[in-house]
Amino acid sequence: MEYINIFIKSAFIDNMIFTFFFGMCSYLAVSKTVKTAVGLGSAVIFVLVVTTPLNYLLETLVLQEGALSWLGDDYATMDLSFLSFIMFIAVIASIVQLVEMLVEKFSPALYGALGIFLPLIAVNCAILGAALFMQQKQFANIGEATIYGLGSGFGWFIAIVLIAAIREKIKYSHIPAPVRGVGMAFILTGLMGLAFLGFLGFEL
Amino acid sequence: MAINRDSNVYTIVFATIMVIVVGGILAFLSMSLKPMQQANVTNEKMQNILQSIGIEETDGVTRQEAGAKFNEFVKRRVTIDFGGNIVSDKTAAYTEADRADKLDAFNINLRKEYSRFVKPIMNQHKGDAAAIEAALKASKDVHFPIFVCESNGETFYVLSASGKGLWDDIWGYIGVKADATTINGTVFDHKGETPGLGSKITEDWFQNQFIDKSIVEGEAFSPIEVLKPGKEKNNHQVDGISGATFTGVGVDEMLERNMSVYYNFFKTNKEF
Amino acid sequence: MSEAKTSEPLFSKKNVALIKNPLNKINPVTIQVLGICSALAVTVQMDNAIVMSVAVMAVLVLGNLIVSLMRNMIPGKIRIIVQLVIVAGLVIIVDQVLKAYVYDVSKKLSVFVGLIITNCIIMGRLEAFALGNKPWASILDGVGNGFGYGLVLVIVAFFKELFGSGALTIPGFEKFEIFGNATDMTGLYSMGYMDNGLMLLPPSSLFIVGIYIWVQKYRNPDLIES
Repeated sequence: MEYINIFIKSAFIDNMIFTFFFGMCSYLAVSKTVKTAVGLGSAVIFVLVVTTPLNYLLETLVLQEGALSWLGDDYATMDLSFLSFIMFIAVIASIVQLVEMLVEKFSPALYGALGIFLPLIAVNCAILGAALFMQQKQFANIGEATIYGLGSGFGWFIAIVLIAAIREKIKYSHIPAPVRGVGMAFILTGLMGLAFLGFLGFEL
Repeated sequence: MAINRDSNVYTIVFATIMVIVVGGILAFLSMSLKPMQQANVTNEKMQNILQSIGIEETDGVTRQEAGAKFNEFVKRRVTIDFGGNIVSDKTAAYTEADRADKLDAFNINLRKEYSRFVKPIMNQHKGDAAAIEAALKASKDVHFPIFVCESNGETFYVLSASGKGLWDDIWGYIGVKADATTINGTVFDHKGETPGLGSKITEDWFQNQFIDKSIVEGEAFSPIEVLKPGKEKNNHQVDGISGATFTGVGVDEMLERNMSVYYNFFKTNKEF
Repeated sequence: MSEAKTSEPLFSKKNVALIKNPLNKINPVTIQVLGICSALAVTVQMDNAIVMSVAVMAVLVLGNLIVSLMRNMIPGKIRIIVQLVIVAGLVIIVDQVLKAYVYDVSKKLSVFVGLIITNCIIMGRLEAFALGNKPWASILDGVGNGFGYGLVLVIVAFFKELFGSGALTIPGFEKFEIFGNATDMTGLYSMGYMDNGLMLLPPSSLFIVGIYIWVQKYRNPDLIES
């Protein structure tokens, strides 16, 4: 039950795109067609599901105040939390590198389509954002952290796929020339964000 | 250039040096700045506690003064558990040496306890009030600090509360008069409520509404309710913030849950 | 370095363009669509927006400078990680120093610190400019892009705060209650004016940036996407 709650909350209520604007850069840049959007969305889900629990372990076993107590009493008062940014980003960057190599090997077409954006997942705020929120929310166990990563990734996925579908359709509409492209994408995202506000306070 | 920048050896050597240099700088900086950072956090907490007493002498105390004034007004620090048993009771002034004592009322981290211990218990026994109470009573990790303050011969108690707003943690200090039921001042703070909406709980007009409200009706506990703004209010109700319903609900829940513990404690310990 | 030293003036036309262009034609936020996350998340109040702009500019200038100085040493294979480490290290240093010396500012900034690291503008400029240019040009590029970013932030925050709270907050000053005080019912509020709650919610920033782009491209037709 708790898992379902965390999933719904992270996917719909605390949606990475609509409430925190995390990962907007790649969201706007790669949402021109549904196909690439699905590709990047899946990559984000995958990276989040892998990195969030890894970062959770890092946080609870190494970084937190007193986390090093398993090394012996001498280390019980160590507080390495000032290193958390750099450690999280290092974990994320290496995992992203790994994903990049895998995609290149198994799906050259997707690799060509995603181009520059795969390495940029490393600086996709959604990934580091999830790690920092995970640290803040102090989940009870690694399962909850994984579900949180999955939910956040899923929320990001539906957001980018939805906007890509709308942008594909909107190509045939008559919209004023200056808002064509990015401008319209912003306004559309705003409207979708309004709809997502309706989930606020929702709990099972 | 003679060095091949793409060779593996160069990459590894570069990465190693970088890690050592960056790690060294950060560790040194963090170690040398830590005392100042801790002092800032401590002073802010002292400032909040002093301000929530609700007396003229500590109104508008600055963070710099708070460290010195804290021991002048706070005469006793008591920590109780959910069942109302005293687990720590100190009358000596708070000093640097007390920092290591995790049970010292000043060191109780309510926000951490709420998210680590209280919330999981409440989620586990959702909807079953008796089970929640039993589990909280049995828990050794749930504490409630009381600061006994004195000013001009009058006694005040500063109580604490912590809960959840719309996005993240909210917490507060509630100063009550010697009867332990009439509120004399409050300070609320939050981690990430919507700026301009929920974040207004830190503003004076919201906090001052609580002054002179009572948490008791006749002989029974009666929590402070946060209502929709603009309604008629009785002695246990305050105006909420328009547009920030969930933050209001959070304040409401946090006050009810924490104040009831204090109410029961003071009821059974009249001589306190 | 093998190239001959040219005695280029510090503020040559090319260098001035480095500062001026990001304000409009190649604005990092509205045209290059970088750094949106933080641009939208911190704009509910003017003072947050200003503090964030200054922080980003500081990290951008320093990061650009360091990467530019090291551009002939960084191994190509791990350059992204090296850049990330430099940025993250800088941000941590800034954060730690603020926490110790200016606690109030650090409290305001705490939420955004993580956002600075992943701000695509910083990574984008390091990768696209500092890796291939000299230190002085890189510093100017950092300043220019920092201003371009700050400009959008401040404009969005101006509208959001003015119509959302009826006031403007600027660091170092008292709050300007332009429309009067809503709790005491003064100014416009006494005539029945009410704040627009939507302006305080996340979606409104998207609308404002959208309209900003609209106006900007209307005035510069060559920026219009085909």
